[in-house]
Amino acid sequence: MQTLRIALAQLAPRLGELEANLERHRTVLGSARRDGADLVVFPELGLTGYLLQDLAAEVAMRLDDPRLAELAAETAGGVSAIVSFVEESGDHRLFIAAALLEDGEIRHVHRKVFLPTYGQFDERRFFAPGDTIRATPSDLGVGVGIAVCEDFWHLGTPLLLALDGAQVLINVSSSPGRDLAARNEVGLGTATSWRTLMRTYAQLTTSFVVFVNRVGIDESMTFWGGSEVIGPSGEPIFSAPFFDDDVYLVDVNLEDVRRERIALPLLRDERLELQARELGRVIAERAGLATDSTADAGAEPGMDVATSRAPNRASDRASTMGDSGEPIRLRTRRNRAASR
Amino acid sequence: MSATARLPVDERGRPLFELPDELAIDTDVARRVIADFIRGQLRQAGFERLVLGLSGGIDSALVAYLVSEAIGADKLLAVLMPYRTSSPASRGDAEAVIAALGCSSELVEITAMVDGYFGAGGEAGAGGPDAAAAASLRRGNFMARMRMSVLYDKSAAFGGLVVGTGNKTESLIGYTTLFGDSACAFNPIGDLYKSQVRQLSAAVGVPRQVIAKAPSADLWPDQTDEGEGAFSYPLLDRILYWRIDRRRSTDELVAMGFELALVERVERLVATSEFKRQVPPIAKLGPRTAGVDYLYPRRRPGSART
Repeated sequence: MQTLRIALAQLAPRLGELEANLERHRTVLGSARRDGADLVVFPELGLTGYLLQDLAAEVAMRLDDPRLAELAAETAGGVSAIVSFVEESGDHRLFIAAALLEDGEIRHVHRKVFLPTYGQFDERRFFAPGDTIRATPSDLGVGVGIAVCEDFWHLGTPLLLALDGAQVLINVSSSPGRDLAARNEVGLGTATSWRTLMRTYAQLTTSFVVFVNRVGIDESMTFWGGSEVIGPSGEPIFSAPFFDDDVYLVDVNLEDVRRERIALPLLRDERLELQARELGRVIAERAGLATDSTADAGAEPGMDVATSRAPNRASDRASTMGDSGEPIRLRTRRNRAASR
Repeated sequence: MSATARLPVDERGRPLFELPDELAIDTDVARRVIADFIRGQLRQAGFERLVLGLSGGIDSALVAYLVSEAIGADKLLAVLMPYRTSSPASRGDAEAVIAALGCSSELVEITAMVDGYFGAGGEAGAGGPDAAAAASLRRGNFMARMRMSVLYDKSAAFGGLVVGTGNKTESLIGYTTLFGDSACAFNPIGDLYKSQVRQLSAAVGVPRQVIAKAPSADLWPDQTDEGEGAFSYPLLDRILYWRIDRRRSTDELVAMGFELALVERVERLVATSEFKRQVPPIAKLGPRTAGVDYLYPRRRPGSART
């Protein structure tokens, strides 16, 4: 049995206090290594706190920052770590980065691709989006796919990571909890949504999903924790308590990936060239570079749906036939506010 | 599961209050989030203690209980600030809360401050003859601001932050006094509708008579919120919830069975009170302006009181 011991560092970072957070990371990394952890996963912006606004530039680090090198050096003893911080690139863009540290070095950096800028989020104002979603080999003996929070609210992310060789998908988050409606399965709308996503991704990619979410508060936001490990069949292996600042050790059997992928060969059956071909077509049509064969009659180039038929009123939705007699493709929407 | 099934009941077995199903919250999660919020706010500000105005009503009683859960009643100062016409029952209820929690308390009568401005007994006050004839709205707002002044002075004397006690319903309809009862360092219940305040109050053990009585600003004798506004809180809460939290249009609300005139009245109240919920705008003149393009978290390294 090829066992991987994962430490989920469900911490409450201190907003803007880089030194204090670095110290906490070093401490947790050291004790997790002594507890036999192979991989220690820290939350999104665990080194800086989340709601930085204009502080982001003040806590940003270059990848050659000695403080990062010092932290990476802690992994020389045979433990891997994923840490997250504000990265400043050579051309002075600021990214929300998550780095895989191994063998005393930075092995891989993922820059958050999807920056939520709606509702309570304002990330795009302060950060640049990453441009790559790539799996990385690791000392763990298995390919690893790293994503940051909102990256997992886009279907393409887990699919790309799994197709690129990841068997363990890791999402590090600063997810603020909201919607306390009693009807929610676990008392928190955000958590209910996330738990649904992670089980679905694990099942559809037949991969382990590791989710590490921070706790504590920044301003009005309370981060809910609830870190989890989901097996490749979609079954939860471990669920951390909500809101507690703690480190959780979880053992997983990597052979479960093989078992699941042989029993349920979804990845084998993926049609990459078909997806690429159809995506290429949609991209060209959206850009107005090709005639859109699937658009409503009268739709502007690239818009797919004709303005006069946009189903934004209940009375319009009742009919499935347009003025021209063409059937309108019914678009159904989730009737529930999205939670992140 | 019907949320009403778990509500406290009176001696005749009737629920103490009405809780619309869609507004029912998980009170365990709410208590945990609020406790973490209170502790986090204090830590970031470098304070250990809190001050609040305890009126005898449900909102401030609930906050007193939540603060006691989060940091202990020994770190809370409850200030009672009655005016001469304030209801004696309110004071009794406030004292019941103090006794139950064991927090420290102070009594500051605001009568002399208010009468000193508006005048009393036929004598004009500092506000002049016009003030003597002031309508109850002016008097009520003035009282709320005197209480704010007292709380912020006690904040300095006691070394505690002022914790807010306003709920989401009154904030959204503007049933607050600007720089008065809405003034605070932070507010743990400002995102809870009145119905949710009642539900959470029952969960944390606020005295039954405080939960059951009709809400009132107690700015003049026998005033009640619902009498003044001609609405019921559960109905108002539902309209606000569907309109604001769930983004339903006026038409959709009417289709759900809400009365159009009432929906439109609530929408007007929300729109006309928008200014009360926001920081006043600063004329943008310089290269970098607070709240516009100078954006920092309220608390950061170096912010805490040392």
